[in-house]
Amino acid sequence: MILRAFAAFALLFTAVAPGPALAADPPTQTPIKHFMFLLQENHSFDNYFGTYPNADGIPAGTCMPLDPAQPSLGCITSFHLGSQPVSDLLHNRETFVGQYLDGKMDGFVSAHRALGGSNAEQVARLAMGYYDDRDLPYYWNVARQYVLFDRFFSSAAAGSFMNHMYWVTASPGDPNHDSPPVDGFGDDLLTIFDRLESAGISWKFYVQNYDPTINYRTLANAGDKAAQAVFVPLLDFNRFLDNPSLFSHIVDIGQYYTDLQNGTLPTVAYMAPLGSSEHPPGSIQAGERFVQTIINGLTRSEYWNSSAFLWAYDDWGGWFDHVSPPQVDAYGYGFRVPALLVSPYARQGQVNSTTLDYTSVLKFIEDNWGLKPLAARDAAATSIASAFDFTSPPRPPEFLPASRTTDLPAEPNRTVLYIAYAAAIVLALALLLAAGLPPLIARGLARRRARRSAP
Amino acid sequence: MQPPASAGRVWWQAIGRYVAGALRFGALRLGPLLARIRSPETRRRLLSLMRFVAATLVIWLPLVLALVVGAMLRLSALNALGYNTDEAVYSGQAAAIAQDPALSLVFPIFRAHPLLFQFVLALVYSGGVSDLAGRLVAVAIGLLTVLLAYSLGRLLYGHLAGLLAAGILAVMPYHVIVSRQVLLDGPMAFLATLTLYLVARFATTRRAAWLYAAGGAMGLTFLAKETGIVLVGAVYTFLALQPAVRVRIRDLLIATGTMLLVIAPFPLTLLLAGGGGTERTRQYLIWQLFRRPNHAWDFYAAVVTPSLGLLVVGVAIAGVVLLRRRLGWQDVLLISWIIVPLAFFQLWPVKGFQYLVSIAPPVALLAARALTEFRPGWVKTSFGWAVNVGWLRPLAMAAVLVSVAVPTIGLVSPAASDTFLAGSGGVPGGREAGMWVEANTPAGSRLMTIGPSMANILQFYGHRPASGLSVSPNPLQRNPSYEPLKNPDLLIRNNEVQYVVWDSYSASRTDFFASKLLSYVRRYHGRAVHTETVTIRSASGVDVESPVIVIYEVRP
Repeated sequence: MILRAFAAFALLFTAVAPGPALAADPPTQTPIKHFMFLLQENHSFDNYFGTYPNADGIPAGTCMPLDPAQPSLGCITSFHLGSQPVSDLLHNRETFVGQYLDGKMDGFVSAHRALGGSNAEQVARLAMGYYDDRDLPYYWNVARQYVLFDRFFSSAAAGSFMNHMYWVTASPGDPNHDSPPVDGFGDDLLTIFDRLESAGISWKFYVQNYDPTINYRTLANAGDKAAQAVFVPLLDFNRFLDNPSLFSHIVDIGQYYTDLQNGTLPTVAYMAPLGSSEHPPGSIQAGERFVQTIINGLTRSEYWNSSAFLWAYDDWGGWFDHVSPPQVDAYGYGFRVPALLVSPYARQGQVNSTTLDYTSVLKFIEDNWGLKPLAARDAAATSIASAFDFTSPPRPPEFLPASRTTDLPAEPNRTVLYIAYAAAIVLALALLLAAGLPPLIARGLARRRARRSAP
Repeated sequence: MQPPASAGRVWWQAIGRYVAGALRFGALRLGPLLARIRSPETRRRLLSLMRFVAATLVIWLPLVLALVVGAMLRLSALNALGYNTDEAVYSGQAAAIAQDPALSLVFPIFRAHPLLFQFVLALVYSGGVSDLAGRLVAVAIGLLTVLLAYSLGRLLYGHLAGLLAAGILAVMPYHVIVSRQVLLDGPMAFLATLTLYLVARFATTRRAAWLYAAGGAMGLTFLAKETGIVLVGAVYTFLALQPAVRVRIRDLLIATGTMLLVIAPFPLTLLLAGGGGTERTRQYLIWQLFRRPNHAWDFYAAVVTPSLGLLVVGVAIAGVVLLRRRLGWQDVLLISWIIVPLAFFQLWPVKGFQYLVSIAPPVALLAARALTEFRPGWVKTSFGWAVNVGWLRPLAMAAVLVSVAVPTIGLVSPAASDTFLAGSGGVPGGREAGMWVEANTPAGSRLMTIGPSMANILQFYGHRPASGLSVSPNPLQRNPSYEPLKNPDLLIRNNEVQYVVWDSYSASRTDFFASKLLSYVRRYHGRAVHTETVTIRSASGVDVESPVIVIYEVRP
């Protein structure tokens, strides 16, 4: 027993990390002292939240023509995907153009059919599929508790790389290519991290399953992990690769949890998935768990009261979305993507319909920490500030369930219980009184009689 | 067949006359004052009043003293330690009945037992849930049982026996410990003693109404805890062994009917209130029938007998043996009330410290009866002198009372320990750990413990759901109130369990699950975020801080 106790005590002292020693936070315009931004992969708003109550979801009666030029061929209605297998739908600039169809928004099936191939019809049909809270219970619970944006567009009407570039630079990067440039980016292209570094504001880039050897220079040997150079745009910048100080800011996601525990969470953090990105045909549930773990870590940390976490999706992934994206310049917007904000200051259960894109988040960071805009897009963007309520105190932390909250067990009827047990007590008392009172009354009467008859 | 209550009354009146006389002519010198009253009628009435007050004081003072001492023992450091697992469950149920918003979510109303005590507790909790309030209700019921023991003793054997029985029960370790806790057994013992009193009333007066009332009280006994139904066997055993106490079949049927009518809320609420109660109760019955023994066969002899008081039990047995030729129906009734539940629970594979508390009042009564019958007088010595050893009688009474009071005083003082016997008191560190959980873990947290006992405590104080790792997925080998963790790995990987709690009490019972739990700590980035310790005396006599509860946060 004592040995066991000592073993537990030893484990305790080896496991206990020192409490957070929070560094002095740089001045901010809002109570948000720490901001985290994660970009997941390849889903449209309607694909994830098309049936979410009170959001701008899939219109009733939606039926996407197989060929807009030949309506007589029929159409595909939107349908619940559930657990049926999906494939990686094409989602590049050409696909966007084919689906957007000059704003008519009726090419979501035909664009995929046009690719041809033995299973083109099946793949094209998939584009009209959607998920709901049966498949994404945690995300829907987050939406109910915090903020869901239903006018959040991907910045570029293109694929992954260009959108990732908007994510960190507010620009398309190399406008001619939707992939890492052969020679990498030079010093002429600024990122939000350059701004933060110059202002002396701490930052980090957390990467799931991070491999520091993979960057745009080593793509040929990266194999399956080549996506790291796309998902982590800093690995395509020569100065971030060659400057050890800057390079050291790019770390594995495990460091995020260590930073939360040690009080070393940076002021601004970007996050990228490698493995749980939800990129079809990958598991969307694995992505949910990844996001939930990040949020739970923040929720139980001492940073909760001064933090905001936002996650969005890098592009629409080829899936249907019914809202025609505004074209603000030659590159975008692209279709809507899901985006959710978690913060103690986030408005509870709000469906925010402000027109936003990734640069809206950059705008918030720049406004909050007094940084200059990076490019024309973020300078003109609307901030995500409308999703916050800084007039109320921060909400207490809460772990949201990873299951549907509508499946609560039935509550018993308490009235039946009250009446039944009260009746039992009354009945037993009545029996007791019926047994005990008559002798008492008789004794009292006898005494009175005896007193009266006494001389 | 008449009980010797008349003897008691004569004694009562004699004392009254003596004290009144003393008041009138003695120390207080009230004689001259009375002599000044000219009206003989007024003087007679005043004297009668003084006699009544004096007698009442003399008669009731020992009883009040017993109740005061009993209350002191039951209230001493009452809330120094937090609830144990059973207290947490019953209080949690009561809070759920009272619609406490936090506890309603973690404690289902229907578990295994009927809900009479929880229903009464819910009335108290409607003003706010408090562990102290719950225990105060338990103490009040315990003291009512002491009062009832006096009434029963007086009815069966006279005033002195009643006083002695009340005194013994007031300080008896077993009853004191159980009635300091929010357990179903204390209220069950109170209602069982009430039933016993009503049966004795019936045997005394032969009025059927007392038998019907006994049926109602037996129904309430069942509603307090279903095992109380065993005492129906004691009533029938008594009636079978005492043909002189005649009872008409019609009356017996009516009494049984009233009992069933009072019991009716139990099945009715299960059927009508919904919430899965029927299914859970059915599973519970199956589980109880096939449950494996949790203690050795001699558990009651080894643990409960010393708690009743070895001298008390010895005197009670000696009294029955020595007075066997003079055993009346009163003795047979008490013996039946002891033997039937004792035999049942001895044979029943599952044993619990508090299960036999309903036998405490009759044991105290038998001991009291033996002591009152002990009347030593003049004894001839070897020198030919005769010595009056009448003083041995009060000495024996005092010795019995002291023999139970002294260990009780030691037991009610909170002693830190890193092991725990279910039903024997509060759990050191449990309340504090639970309160830490409530203050420091986000709403929506779920905890994994070694076993369900610590889970219940953390649920009550922490307002967070907790599940025991040791709960078997086999329905035949687990209390159906508990949900098994079928795949703890998956729960942690899915972020459904965020905290893992190790405790020394559960670890001392199951090495396997304690090790298993710590393997999850190591596998899922476990980090100790809170520790509760107690100061215990080591084998070498040195005080050491021993961790009793360690809370780890885990993540995938």
